[in-house]
Amino acid sequence: MNRHSVLALVSISILFVSSLAGCAKPEPQVAGTTVVKEQVSPETAVTAAAGRQGGEITYGLTLIVSDIDPHTGSSSELGIFLTSVYDPLVWRDQEGNYYPGLAKSWEISEDGRVYTFYLRDDVKFHDGEPFNAEAVKANLDRIVDPELQSHKAVYMMGPYDRTEIVDAYTVQVHFEEPYAPFLDSASQVYLAMASPKALEEWGAEHYREHQAGTGPFAIQEYVPKDHIVLVKNPDYNWAPAFMGHQGPAYLDKITFRFYPDAATRVPALESGEAQIMGEIPPLEAKRLASDSRFVIYPTHIPGQSLQVFINTSRAPTNNLQVRQALIYGCDRQAIVNGIFGGFSPVAHGPLGRKTPFYNPAVEGMYSYDPEKARNLLAEAGWTDTNGDGVLDKDGQDFVLDTVLMGWGAMPEVGTAMQGLYRQLGIKMEAQILAYPAALEAARNNAHHLIPMALSSSDPDILSSYFHSRNIESGFSWSRYPDAGLDQWLDKGTRTNDMEKRSELYDQAQQRIMEQALIVPIRDYVNLNGDNAKVKGLRYGLQGWFPWLYDVYLKD
Amino acid sequence: MLRYIQRRLLLMFPLLWGVATLVFFFMYMLPGDPASVILANSGGKAESIARLQEQLGLDDPLPVQYMRFLQNLLQGDLGESIFLRQPVSQILWDNVPSSVELAVGGMAIAILIGLSTGILAALNHHSWIDRACMVLAIAGVSMPNFWLALLFMYAISGLSTRYGVTILPITGQGDLKHLILPAVVLGFALSGSLARLVRSSMLETMYQEHIVTARAKGLGQWAIVTRHALRNALIPVTTMMGLQFGALLGGTVIVETVFSRRGLGRTIVDAILWKDLPLVQGAVLWTAASYILVNLVVDISYAVIDPRIRYG
Repeated sequence: MNRHSVLALVSISILFVSSLAGCAKPEPQVAGTTVVKEQVSPETAVTAAAGRQGGEITYGLTLIVSDIDPHTGSSSELGIFLTSVYDPLVWRDQEGNYYPGLAKSWEISEDGRVYTFYLRDDVKFHDGEPFNAEAVKANLDRIVDPELQSHKAVYMMGPYDRTEIVDAYTVQVHFEEPYAPFLDSASQVYLAMASPKALEEWGAEHYREHQAGTGPFAIQEYVPKDHIVLVKNPDYNWAPAFMGHQGPAYLDKITFRFYPDAATRVPALESGEAQIMGEIPPLEAKRLASDSRFVIYPTHIPGQSLQVFINTSRAPTNNLQVRQALIYGCDRQAIVNGIFGGFSPVAHGPLGRKTPFYNPAVEGMYSYDPEKARNLLAEAGWTDTNGDGVLDKDGQDFVLDTVLMGWGAMPEVGTAMQGLYRQLGIKMEAQILAYPAALEAARNNAHHLIPMALSSSDPDILSSYFHSRNIESGFSWSRYPDAGLDQWLDKGTRTNDMEKRSELYDQAQQRIMEQALIVPIRDYVNLNGDNAKVKGLRYGLQGWFPWLYDVYLKD
Repeated sequence: MLRYIQRRLLLMFPLLWGVATLVFFFMYMLPGDPASVILANSGGKAESIARLQEQLGLDDPLPVQYMRFLQNLLQGDLGESIFLRQPVSQILWDNVPSSVELAVGGMAIAILIGLSTGILAALNHHSWIDRACMVLAIAGVSMPNFWLALLFMYAISGLSTRYGVTILPITGQGDLKHLILPAVVLGFALSGSLARLVRSSMLETMYQEHIVTARAKGLGQWAIVTRHALRNALIPVTTMMGLQFGALLGGTVIVETVFSRRGLGRTIVDAILWKDLPLVQGAVLWTAASYILVNLVVDISYAVIDPRIRYG
C-alpha cells in the first residue's frame, strides 16, 4: 500500500479454513473493526457433505409483497427470499462480524469518506454476466437515482456522492461526509448486487419481474401475489466463510408461498404443505415447540425494541419524575407474557439486546416497581385530592393522550398499559389511528405517548428517533433537544473507530434511559418454525432473513 | 332509445369528473402524509422527508396537484400506487375480475333465493309458508356476513377432519369451487331484502284488476304468475338489484377478507388507510363508472320489462 495514500489499510489477516464443513468455525472479525480477510479459496474450501444434495421445500411467507425489487422495496419480506438470490459486498455473521462477500477485502479512508472494495474476479451473475467494478457502480448509482424512487435502499446510502472505478475489480465509494453505517448497509439485501445487463434491459419498472443476482439460488418463476420459485445456481462457489459448506447449495428448488392469514400458517406447516413457516402466532408456537415433529426458531430482530416514546415537550410528561414513574409503573413482563406468549424478552433500552452496540448497562435501570412510581408521582405533585381515582394537580387531571397504530400488536400493548396506569391513578386516553394519521398526530405534537418498533442492524437508527433535528418534521417523538445526545449521535454516524463508536452509543443509550424518553416494552422476536426434517436452517443478523444455502432435508 | 343511451353515456363524463374531484379533495383533507409513512418504515431522517415529498409531487400547491391529476386522467393515466409500486391500472386489472366474479355469483344466488322465496311467500299469503320464508329473509338481512362465513367454514372443516370428506375449499380463489362459499354467503345476505321486496310487490299486483281478469279467463296459476304478475312486480325489484350489484362491483371487504380472496374492497380499504391517493382515485373511479353503467342497464331493462316505458 502506498504510504502517501490517504487510505489506511488497517490490517489484513488471512484465514485458512481447515476443519470440516459444518464444524468450520472460522475466526470472525471483531464487530465493526476494519480487519479484512481473504475469502476462502476454492482449493481449500471443503466440499459439500455427501448425501445432502437434492430435494425441494416450500417456505411460507406472510405479507403479500408487491414490490420485490431490493433497491426500491422496503419490506422485510422481500429479503426472506432475495437473501438467497443475491450476495452482498460484505457479509455479517449472526454476531455482527464482517466477512468478505463479493468484496474480497475493503478499506476505509482515515476521514471515513471513501470506502475501497477489492472485488472477487470469479463471480458470475445468473444471466452469465461477469461481476466486476462496473457492476458495483451501476447498482449503487441506480439506488440513488431519484427517478427510481427507492423506499429504503437510498436511505441506507446516507450522504453518498459517487462510485469510482479504479480498475476492473476495485471500486471506491465516495461520501460527502463520513458515513460509518455504510459497511452495515453494504451487507444488506437492499444494496444487493444485481446484473447490470438485466437492470439495463428491464428498467426501473420491470426489473422486479426479471431479477438476476449472484446468489446460491436464482429466481426461476415469479407469479405476483402467489408464489416465487428459486432453483439452485450450479456455478455458485463464493459462499461466505461462516456458512456450513462451500460450492453449490444443497436444495434443488425452493418455492415461496404467501399465507397472509395468520390462522392458516400453522395448518399449512402441520399438513406438510410448507416445510418452513414465518411469523407463527405465539400461542401456536408454544404448542408446536412441544411437538417433536417441528422446530420453533425464536429469532431476535435487532434494531429498536418495541418502545413507547414519552413526549417531553408537554405537561405532565415534561417532568422527569413523571416519565420515570411511567417506566417503573409499567409491568413489562406481564405485557410480554400476556401478548407475546413469553417468547420475547423484556426490553430495557432503545435498542434490542442483539443490536450491534447495545449497551447492557441499561438493564438494571428500571424494574417494575409501582410503589416507586407512586412516590415519584407524589413528589412531582400529583395526588388524588378529589378522590375520583385519578391523580390531579392544580385542578388538572393526570391525562395522557396516546396515539396508537393499528399494526404490530400496538393496540393490545396500549390497552394493557391503560390498565396498568389506571392503578397508578393515570388516565390514559388512547386512540387507534390509521398509520399516516398517527404519524401526523405525532408531528403535530398531539401525543404524550406513541409506540414504535423498527428493525436495523446499525445503531445509527437512534438518530432518526432521538436527534433534535428530527423533532419538527421527523420521528423524534420524545421531542427532547439535548446537545450531548445530538453530539454523540452525530459522531456515531461519522466515526469508523469502533471503540469510539461503541462509547458514543453507550452514552446515548444511557442518556435516553436516564432521561426516561421511552418506555421500552419488548425486544422483537420473530417466531419461525420448520419441519424437523429440515436441517441446517439459520437466520442472519437481521433476524428476518434465512440462510437457505446450508439447508438440507434429512429423510 | 339509441339517442337516450348516447346521452346517458355522455353524462358519465361530468359525473366521473365530479366523483374524481370530490375524492381528490376528501383524500387531501385526510390527515397524514405518505412520505412520512415510507420513511418511518425505513428509519429516514427529517431532511429525507422533504426530498421524498418532492419526488412524489406532494409538496406542490393543491391546485397544481389537482391539475396534474386531471391532466393524467384525461390521458387515461391513473398513475402509480405509492406503496404497491405498480400502475394503478395494473392493480385494478388484477383485482376487478375477482370482484366481478364474486358480484355475479353472489347476485345469482341472491336472485335465486330472493325471487323464489318472495314469490312463494306472496302466493301463500298469511300461511306458514309465508312466515317461514319471511323468517329466512329476516335471517338473511340480519345475520352478519362474517358470522355466516365462519359457520360454513367450521362446518366444512369439521366434516373434513372428522370424516375426511372435503366438499369445498374454504379459502382462496381459482376455479368455480372456490367461488361457491363466498357467493352463497354474499347471496344469502342480499336475498333477504330482495325476498321481502318481491313479496310485497307481488302481493300488490296479485290483487290488481288485470290479474282478476286473467283468472276469469281461466289461465293457470303458473301462467298468471310468470306472465302477468311477476312482470309488473319486477320493476322495483330490478331497481334494487341494480343498486346491489353496483355496490358489489366495488368490492366486498368482509367476504374478501374472511375467504382470503383478492378484490377491490380490500384494495380500497388498505389504500385509504395508507393514504395511497392514486390507488384510491383509480378504485373509486372504477366503482363510480360501474355504478353508472349498471344503472343505465337497469333503466333500459325497464323498457324491456314494461313496453309502456319508452325513452325518446
